[in-house]
Amino acid sequence: MIRSPATDPAGARARTARWRNTLLIAGGAVLAMVLPYVFTGLAARSLLILTAINVILVVSLDLLIGLTGLLSLGHAAFWGVGAYASALTAMRLGFPFPLALLAAIAAGALAGAIVGAPALRLRGHHFSVVTFIIGIIVTILMTNLVGLTRGPMGLPGIPFASLHLFGWSHTFMTIVYKVGFYHLTLFFVALALLLRWRIAASRLGRALKAIKADEDLARAIGIQTFRVKLTVFCVSAAVAGAAGSLYAHYTAFISPDSFTFVESFDLFVMNLVGGAGTALGPIIGPAFLTSVGTALRSVSPVLAEIIYGALLIVSITLLPTGIVGGTTALARRWRRRR
Amino acid sequence: MQLAINALLAASLYALVAMGLTIILGVLDIADFAQGALYMLGAFTAFYATTLLGLNFFLALPLGFVVGGAIGVANYLAVYRPLRRASGATTFIAALGLLLILQNLALWIFGADFKLVPSPFGKARFSLLGASMGSYQVFLIAAVAVVVLATWAFLQRTRLGKALRAVSQNRNGALMIGVDALRVEVTAFAVAGGLAGLGGALASAVNAFDPSVAALVVIKAFAIVIFGGMGSVPGALLGAVIVGVMETATAGLVNTQYAELTAFVLMVIVLLVRPRGLLGSPETKL
Repeated sequence: MIRSPATDPAGARARTARWRNTLLIAGGAVLAMVLPYVFTGLAARSLLILTAINVILVVSLDLLIGLTGLLSLGHAAFWGVGAYASALTAMRLGFPFPLALLAAIAAGALAGAIVGAPALRLRGHHFSVVTFIIGIIVTILMTNLVGLTRGPMGLPGIPFASLHLFGWSHTFMTIVYKVGFYHLTLFFVALALLLRWRIAASRLGRALKAIKADEDLARAIGIQTFRVKLTVFCVSAAVAGAAGSLYAHYTAFISPDSFTFVESFDLFVMNLVGGAGTALGPIIGPAFLTSVGTALRSVSPVLAEIIYGALLIVSITLLPTGIVGGTTALARRWRRRR
Repeated sequence: MQLAINALLAASLYALVAMGLTIILGVLDIADFAQGALYMLGAFTAFYATTLLGLNFFLALPLGFVVGGAIGVANYLAVYRPLRRASGATTFIAALGLLLILQNLALWIFGADFKLVPSPFGKARFSLLGASMGSYQVFLIAAVAVVVLATWAFLQRTRLGKALRAVSQNRNGALMIGVDALRVEVTAFAVAGGLAGLGGALASAVNAFDPSVAALVVIKAFAIVIFGGMGSVPGALLGAVIVGVMETATAGLVNTQYAELTAFVLMVIVLLVRPRGLLGSPETKL
């Protein structure tokens, strides 16, 4: 049936909604890009970069949690694998930044396959437990493979990211001037969001949603659940690997301490508090918690962890759909009442 | 022989926590990572009971059991019971939140210094079949064996223990014939928490500990539980023994750092080959 635009109110409404969304996305992108000119302090700009990296990580985590319903609790491991892969290829093999980034993505995907193969055999919270434990194994490996990673001493002196394009070249001197690197990170945030959007709209995305709704049923209608889950797990790990590469070339120093299970936990909380599976949740969660977390840690690191733990329990008990989910429900209720 | 004793010692250190985790998994299907915090608090109880209160170490052991059990029940009533209609993953996350809170509270209150309770037998050694070992180590292995047997007897012989097993095998069936769910669940947490607290108190005189031991112990104990078969008490014990043996062997043959990984490697292998774990089957319950 051909819908005539003039007489079809549903189509017209969909079109306005699409316009509104495009405007909102463009506005959000512009806002994100000008933020470092509003907050010009070095600490504030550093916070912006770390927030952007966290957004990439949480978006990749949301592929598992929000889309597929796989509550993975070892995500920082892939971030760390990516960071180490990028740093080591850049330092030992002299890879330029774009190649090191690709190495980090490949290493992330490979680690995803290695972890996913055993972990995805389990379901529900058993899967969460295993990813959590494997995340810890990865930190133990980073600490103990001293020959490769220098162990707990970490890797200092990672070269800054630099790009060479058709004769134009730019080095992101992240210590002094952070805006360039922030925009670079923002570019990858956009890529990650685009990837999530495209996956959600694809055949793979529909398979993932089916698995989230009912895995046995998904299998019964012919979805190869294990293969589909492994695919999304590898994609998610690869994106986390890219975030690791950005992180390594930003801080110029990485050590196993940066990628412990506490980080996995923080990412999980960010996704949960923001609202897993919602469009804006993976942006709002990290934006809110990275700044709050940094502020708290500067007061007392121990207190910060206690509050994180409490926040986690409160948010899953009272607000299972996160800030975004909660506000949407509130707004809907308010509109209905009117 | 020396190797066997060391292996048994390593196994004993994890057996109690692994068994507690198994009981809670069996009865409530909760992955209670906060058990690690109870182990840590048990160790601190033994430390402060002997140093501040001047209690005899052997009196501090039951105190560790009581503290672990009490906090375990408190956790259950405050967090897990309100979440009883939520999914397993939700409770697992809550458990991690609890672990994080308790571990950092301990860090705040007790500080990050490593502590070690002096062995109640001093430096007395004990020789058996050509192997020499500390008397306390022998006591620890024996004590764990006794506690394991007592728990086993409790689950198999007593009315309450049977109720626990009934709930783990068929929750609705058990409730229908009049088993009091609240009572069973509180008992499960009291016993499991007590075992963890006692385990911590026992270990406090062997291994130096700080608050971060909470996460380390529970992670390894959980790897053992997955390896042995989730929800199976014999599986947890067998898992603890095998991990103890392999860990000691790795420490002797390779180095102690890789020994730390043994439990996890075994877990990954078993997941690839037999995802239910060694002794786990869909029907295996307490």
